[in-house]
Amino acid sequence: MSAAGLIPRNSLAWLLTAQVVVLLPHLPRLPWWVALLWVGCALWRVQIQRMRWHSPGILLKSAALVAILLGVFLTQGTLLGLDATVMFLLLLFMLKLLEMHNPRDALVVVYLGFFILATAFLFDQGIPLTLYQCGSLLVLVAALVGLQQSAGRNDPARALRIGGVMLLQAIPLLLVLFIFFPRLEPLWSVNMPGGSSKTGLSDTMSPADIANLARSPELAFRASFDGEIPPLSTLYWRALTLSRFDGRSWSQDRLLNNLPALPLDTSGESVEYRVVAGASGQHWVYSLRGATTDNPALRRMHDFNLQSIAPLNSTFGYRARSYVNVQMQAEPLSKLERARQLELPQQGDPRAREWAQALREQHPDDGDLVQAVLGYFNQQPFFYTLKPTPLGEHSNDEFLFDTRRGFCEHYAGAMTFVLRAAGIPSRIVAGYQGGEVNEQGGYVLVHQFDAHVWVEVWLAGRGWVSVDPTFQVAPERIEQGLEEAVRGEGSFLEDSYLSGSRYRGVTWLNDARLAWDNVNYQWQLRVLNFKGEEQMGLFRRWLGTADWQRVGMVVLGLAGGIMLLQAMWWLRPQRMNGSAQQRVWKRLDQRLARLRLQALPGEGPRAWQQRLQVALPAQRSVIDSFFDEFVRQSYAATDSASKADQQQLQQALRALFKVIPRKRPASASYLLQDGPLSSRDKSL
Amino acid sequence: MKDALKAAQDAIDQVVLGKSHAVKLALTCILAKGHLLIEDLPGMGKTTLSQALASVLGMSYQRIQFTSDLLPGDILGTSVFDRNSGQFVFHPGPIFAELVLADEINRATPKSQSALLEAMEEGQVTVDGATRPLPDPFFVIATQNPVSQGGTFALPESQLDRFLMRLSLGYPSEKAEKSLLLGDDRRARLDRVEAILGHDELRRLQALVPQVNASEALVDYILRLVNHTRNSDVCAWGLSPRASLGLLAAARAWALLEQRSYVIPEDVQAVLPSVVSHRLRAANDPAGHGGDSLALWLLNEVPAV
Repeated sequence: MSAAGLIPRNSLAWLLTAQVVVLLPHLPRLPWWVALLWVGCALWRVQIQRMRWHSPGILLKSAALVAILLGVFLTQGTLLGLDATVMFLLLLFMLKLLEMHNPRDALVVVYLGFFILATAFLFDQGIPLTLYQCGSLLVLVAALVGLQQSAGRNDPARALRIGGVMLLQAIPLLLVLFIFFPRLEPLWSVNMPGGSSKTGLSDTMSPADIANLARSPELAFRASFDGEIPPLSTLYWRALTLSRFDGRSWSQDRLLNNLPALPLDTSGESVEYRVVAGASGQHWVYSLRGATTDNPALRRMHDFNLQSIAPLNSTFGYRARSYVNVQMQAEPLSKLERARQLELPQQGDPRAREWAQALREQHPDDGDLVQAVLGYFNQQPFFYTLKPTPLGEHSNDEFLFDTRRGFCEHYAGAMTFVLRAAGIPSRIVAGYQGGEVNEQGGYVLVHQFDAHVWVEVWLAGRGWVSVDPTFQVAPERIEQGLEEAVRGEGSFLEDSYLSGSRYRGVTWLNDARLAWDNVNYQWQLRVLNFKGEEQMGLFRRWLGTADWQRVGMVVLGLAGGIMLLQAMWWLRPQRMNGSAQQRVWKRLDQRLARLRLQALPGEGPRAWQQRLQVALPAQRSVIDSFFDEFVRQSYAATDSASKADQQQLQQALRALFKVIPRKRPASASYLLQDGPLSSRDKSL
Repeated sequence: MKDALKAAQDAIDQVVLGKSHAVKLALTCILAKGHLLIEDLPGMGKTTLSQALASVLGMSYQRIQFTSDLLPGDILGTSVFDRNSGQFVFHPGPIFAELVLADEINRATPKSQSALLEAMEEGQVTVDGATRPLPDPFFVIATQNPVSQGGTFALPESQLDRFLMRLSLGYPSEKAEKSLLLGDDRRARLDRVEAILGHDELRRLQALVPQVNASEALVDYILRLVNHTRNSDVCAWGLSPRASLGLLAAARAWALLEQRSYVIPEDVQAVLPSVVSHRLRAANDPAGHGGDSLALWLLNEVPAV
């Protein structure tokens, strides 16, 4: 058991520090007993170090393994998945403390620490964590350095200093690798961390769903435009279309969704923009009407929306171009599609159906009918509210004719119902409307409270046409945003006291919020999203090709060049300062430092000579002749040393180099602890 | 002649037991034509050392016991009216000796202290308008007691600077003290000491000191030392050019005592603590008694080559 003491005290202190630093970002996601377990393990390890306690036996260790497996299962409900495996790894990382018998085990712990540092980025890739992890990296490297230091060394700051210098030296290499290293898609698919309960749109919509979403100040995505930002009131960000109604809620029509995408006329006016979307765990992405994209990770859908092939489990950026005035599906609908876009439940909402029939008789033209419904919303006393009255069985009937209080989903839902009942193919489009312009960054921020649904109607010869019943009731929602629309009600973000968006009125606070958001956006755009197409584009611009072979050669060349430069700096010759004698002295000093016989601080030539005579008795005559020559030239001569003198001294030095041993003999005990000064003190 | 130096050193060692380094430094001081300040407790052999030095060097010896009522006249001498001749006749004070021991110099008032220090600096005294030269060689050993400071007038830095060296004898080793206790009376020993170096020989030796070779490398070392005290925050102030001159002179004299015709860094290191410690004060030490440790710090900080 005494072997446990083999890890130097200094190194253990560094190791424990590194563990705390690495574990800290994970702790908020883990139950409280994890921290307690670490404290226990650390305490035990310290007691082992002090030789008070023994290392745990095989039985205890096995029991601990079972216990932590059980703990992970009870906490996460599974042993698979990202959260559970990372938690398991963290627990093993802690327990490894008790199994650390020699420096090699300690090395394993540090290497594990590097791995755990990387796992933190699976959960968060923001700037604060990145900065923090830079610090963690420094501590880990310091721990690594500390492990290589001799047991006698007791200067923790030295390890930190060396580690810092090493990391600074690595920065050029880091930049080269950041730019050139291929971002491989993971070989396995990692599930969304945190149980995938993200705020955001969902593929079904019941009354009050969007109203609930509109209470959230979370960011949905950011978009920047090539050229000027279009007016916010025209920014209808589509995410998905809902075509199936079961009497209560609207959902996606999977059958229609899987039909092939329709051609798009790309000759008209277009806007190009770039979107960086947060992780939603869903497939859909956000685009304006008539969107196309070159991004191979996206595809165009039958309903003219864009979708990601893989779910968005992390921040995802893409470019898209929208032909805003294009006609969508101008040719007649297929029989199947027409049927499904008209489908309604057999039962329910009799008054709405009746009204639809009445309208049909009144307006044989589809366009007129749509205008009539919009007019109804406009003229009747409808009220736009985040707190609608709860609706009963016949939700559309009650809303249209009784309560008349609702959020966008009520208007869009009721209108689509009525239009379908009147025989006009129509569907609901869910997405976001408007946003907030960040002047500093020149981009649009879209929050969850910008969530919106509107209606798309198919009109013969014009294709799918968007109509927004909400605009008829509360035009300020479209023109100025939700905050203005519900100002009288005071319900804007009323539960989110800490949200910056709630305090837009305070100018400096708002400026600071937007500035910070801009920093984050640039980080996501330029650092996190620098992969795939972005990277390839850069290669093409710089190297004229994105061929991996060529890129690999450039990387190797650059990395090799950087390391060569660093090595040259490191191995640079000592500067030629001082006199010829001083340089000779320095060379001898460096050579003898290997034998730990270097000149002591302030030691004069004769004192050093005496010490060397004792230490290397066999080489005494050579030592004496060197020092005699040195003293003669430096001090006895009345004029400065001639060329011949210098050569003579060089020769004496070479003669000395020849005879002194290469390495310090193992048995050598000649390291004098006393300097030249203390020996003089005795005589005083 | 250099053997005579060695013999003189040995002769003093016979009287002042176990203090050969201090004795050597005192001789160095005389050879470098500097004055010596000994700071030590009573009864450590300060008087014995100065008497032995005087005897060995064949110098006339005077001792002035400094007290608070000592007047400048008591040191320099006064003119007294002689009734027979009807004229004022100058009666020289104890300062007119070749080796003057100024005992407990810090007990006298600044006025009396400065009378002595002026004489040391000028090599002559002016009394009643007449300037009288002091004997040559002229050497002052002043002592002060570092412990009981009540009612004393500590020498200011400017006056401490007049002394080339400050020594402290310290307790003797057990062996030395044993032979001291077992041996003869010190008075008897002192009486037996004979003059080994005559005035002419001393003068010749003193003239040899400036001829000891101090190479450029060595002067660079002294400059490094001095500049380090000037540039470091550890010292309240740096060493003066007088101090670097004194350091070089003392190192030369030490090399001469070592029978060498050139100075090596070890010579500088040997004399440095006694030459600079009373001239330095640590920045964080208002009382100013850390000079010795500062000297050691200096030697450890500055590379010798």
